Amino acid sequence: MEIGLLIQTIANSIAAGSIYAVIAVGLAMAFGVMKMANFAHGEFFMCGAYVVYVFYALLGWPFPAAVLMSIPIVGAMGVVTERLIFRPTRSNVLAGFMATAGLAFVLQVLVGQMWGVGLMRSVPTPYMGAADIAGAKIGWQRVLVIPAAIVMLSALWFFLYRVKHGKALRACAQDPDTARLQGIGINRMTMLAMGISGASAGLAGALLAPIHPVTPYMGHGVILTAFIVVVMGGMESIAGAVLAAILLGFVHTFVTTLSDAVTAQMVGVACMAAVLVVRPQGLLGRVKA
Amino acid sequence: MLKLDDVVVHYGTVAAVKGISFEVDENEIVTLIGSNGAGKTTTLAAITGLHQPSTGTISFEGDRIDHLAPEKINALGIAMVPEGRRVFPQMTVLENMEMGAYLRTNAARIRHDMEEIYHHFPILKERRSQLAGTMSGGQQQMVAMARALMSGPKLLLLDEPSLGLSPIMTQEIAKIIRDLHREHGRTIVLVEQNARMALQLADHAFVMETGKIAFGGKADDLRHDAKIQETYLGV
Repeated sequence: MEIGLLIQTIANSIAAGSIYAVIAVGLAMAFGVMKMANFAHGEFFMCGAYVVYVFYALLGWPFPAAVLMSIPIVGAMGVVTERLIFRPTRSNVLAGFMATAGLAFVLQVLVGQMWGVGLMRSVPTPYMGAADIAGAKIGWQRVLVIPAAIVMLSALWFFLYRVKHGKALRACAQDPDTARLQGIGINRMTMLAMGISGASAGLAGALLAPIHPVTPYMGHGVILTAFIVVVMGGMESIAGAVLAAILLGFVHTFVTTLSDAVTAQMVGVACMAAVLVVRPQGLLGRVKA
Repeated sequence: MLKLDDVVVHYGTVAAVKGISFEVDENEIVTLIGSNGAGKTTTLAAITGLHQPSTGTISFEGDRIDHLAPEKINALGIAMVPEGRRVFPQMTVLENMEMGAYLRTNAARIRHDMEEIYHHFPILKERRSQLAGTMSGGQQQMVAMARALMSGPKLLLLDEPSLGLSPIMTQEIAKIIRDLHREHGRTIVLVEQNARMALQLADHAFVMETGKIAFGGKADDLRHDAKIQETYLGV
């Protein structure tokens, strides 16, 4: 591999890892607090991309404003999902699974009905041109993803480790009954977790809209990767999800560059299996007492 | 202060608590003793709202609290130190204590109470940045007690604080319970299998057997009761 291609691939890996991290962190967080997986998480990502499509491509808003709009809009979708699906099915994991899997289809059809199914929606690239690093050309749009992910993850870290309600969210994930004994309202916490979860998935979709085919089904590939990342990282561990996301970003990008995308998916799943053989609790997961 | 009247608690179809009544007055330590499975922990779960009673009433300071959610009951001034400590393992000692004060907003008062609690548990001040899950059983017990005290409770519920602790650590925890009672006049409900320790600390004691209160009375009297000595104190 020549040096230009190597740098190019490394940069692409970091960009891919950043996006995986933003998506997976939301999934891990919702799972941590609710102990239920949101199978419509990929569709939240898709909705984020459509927010950019509508506000930026159709209504002509500035790109950054359109991206920021994805945070409240998809965040609110997360909150509504908690209220209408997760809360009523809290005592029944299977019902929660069926309902969110159903929600995924509902969102796909809804978006398809509103903006069309067959054609991919084109979102013009707001930042043309590419950075030139040692002969490698990396599109600005791809580079932009990296600082955006760092800002989002730092903000989340600050909230979880420095703000009282964020700490309460961690307490809830570690021991919900004991958290309630401290006066922490579990319903408010699950709503908060789902709001953040939706917002982060939406943000990831919004950032990728210009460089990813925008279709009602774009959540499919993402949800698989997000689950691999979350399982590899240790289900509830936010730090584990970030670590696994970066690892998988490198694995996927390098294998895709050297071989093809299908092989990359297989190698990614194999990596997850290998991690689970050595550490069944995931990279940074903890063994339940 | 706290009054249980004919409280029945079911797990599925099985009644774990079969109609118990007792009262706790302000500034006293009341203990529930009895063997494993007698329904002591379930009784506390009913008081804290984690497991709501099927029939009967529980009132606190004159108001009924059965059917309130645990977070609401905590807000009324009842704090619980759960069986098995249940510290938040991935949080520091300080964060665990902050969670105890979750519903409080007066930062100056919280800081004042924290210093007072550190006075009872000096080791927690030293170890405040350590993850609670990495501490010894006795230290975790202290974290759980400190966390409960951080809410500034009117009533403190302690579920098996001596469970799994060494005799020396058990004595230390007993001393802290006594200090909390003497210095601040705290009202405490103590659930214990260690009847010797419980009867030494308590003003009143109730003996639970298979979901019912078999008998109760002044702790001093029970300590000298021949049947209690034989069954629960191993004399």
